[in-house]
Amino acid sequence: MSTATPASAKQPSLATSRKFKAFALTFSISGPVIYCMVQYFNYPLFTYWPAVRRLVWGFGPPSADNGPNMLWYGWSVTTLLIAGALGIVAMMLPEHLTKRLPLWLLWLLPILAIPYVVYSLMPWWTLAARQ
Amino acid sequence: MRGIISTSTFWTLWLFVHLILALGLLGALTHQAMAVALPVRKPAAGIVTRFRAVPAAGYTTAVCVLYVLTFFVGSYIYTQYRIAIRIPLENAHYYKTGGFFDFKEHVATLGLVLLPAYWLLWKNAQNPDYDNARKGVTLVLAVMVWFLFIVGHVLNNTRGFAS
Repeated sequence: MSTATPASAKQPSLATSRKFKAFALTFSISGPVIYCMVQYFNYPLFTYWPAVRRLVWGFGPPSADNGPNMLWYGWSVTTLLIAGALGIVAMMLPEHLTKRLPLWLLWLLPILAIPYVVYSLMPWWTLAARQ
Repeated sequence: MRGIISTSTFWTLWLFVHLILALGLLGALTHQAMAVALPVRKPAAGIVTRFRAVPAAGYTTAVCVLYVLTFFVGSYIYTQYRIAIRIPLENAHYYKTGGFFDFKEHVATLGLVLLPAYWLLWKNAQNPDYDNARKGVTLVLAVMVWFLFIVGHVLNNTRGFAS
């Protein structure tokens, strides 16, 4: 397999840092779960109305005056902040705890998030089915 | 900028930038996914084997940078999509198309949060403990990027460039 890494990679660097490892793995494992929860409970950090270029903290509904609202930006930023905070907490934990993180969750959780995401889009599929 | 060129041209140019970045990302990640899924153990012979025989670890930072850039440019043009594309799509009853675009936005964020671990696993490619996780994360990310690209392409065909 062509995955050879230069010898310089063994020198101390971000990639070999124990703290960065704890941060990266915690961030990426928790990220998909947090995103699904943020979307389910509808906790966007902010709402944006593109028609009037208006931005408010938290959730704001669509309205006749402001036009359609956009929540995805807020959901994504909320997710990045919470996952980032968990990652920072993980950096402070002792190594014997963080090295127990099961690495298979990294690829399994995004796959498990997909059925929920599809389900959350049910209004679209329902409208399509009624045609 | 928008005073010099028409609004339609302005957004079309950004859509084109998004496309170019996405193509670079797709190429790099597909090479890497093929290399990790079907590793080459003999000297490369045909074009498919040579495609798989790339030094996969070398693509890692480029994939991360291209993903983030594509994500941000896509996020920027998303505002225009919400007004100029999605509303006409709904009025024309293209509900599946609209639904798949929302699906795309969720997948884009799910992919974004994978990047720190993806980078870490590839930058420690010499560590055999990471082999399975690296393979799984790379393949999941590659499938996600292909999905994002195909949905974006179909949506562009529905109502995209210069519309």
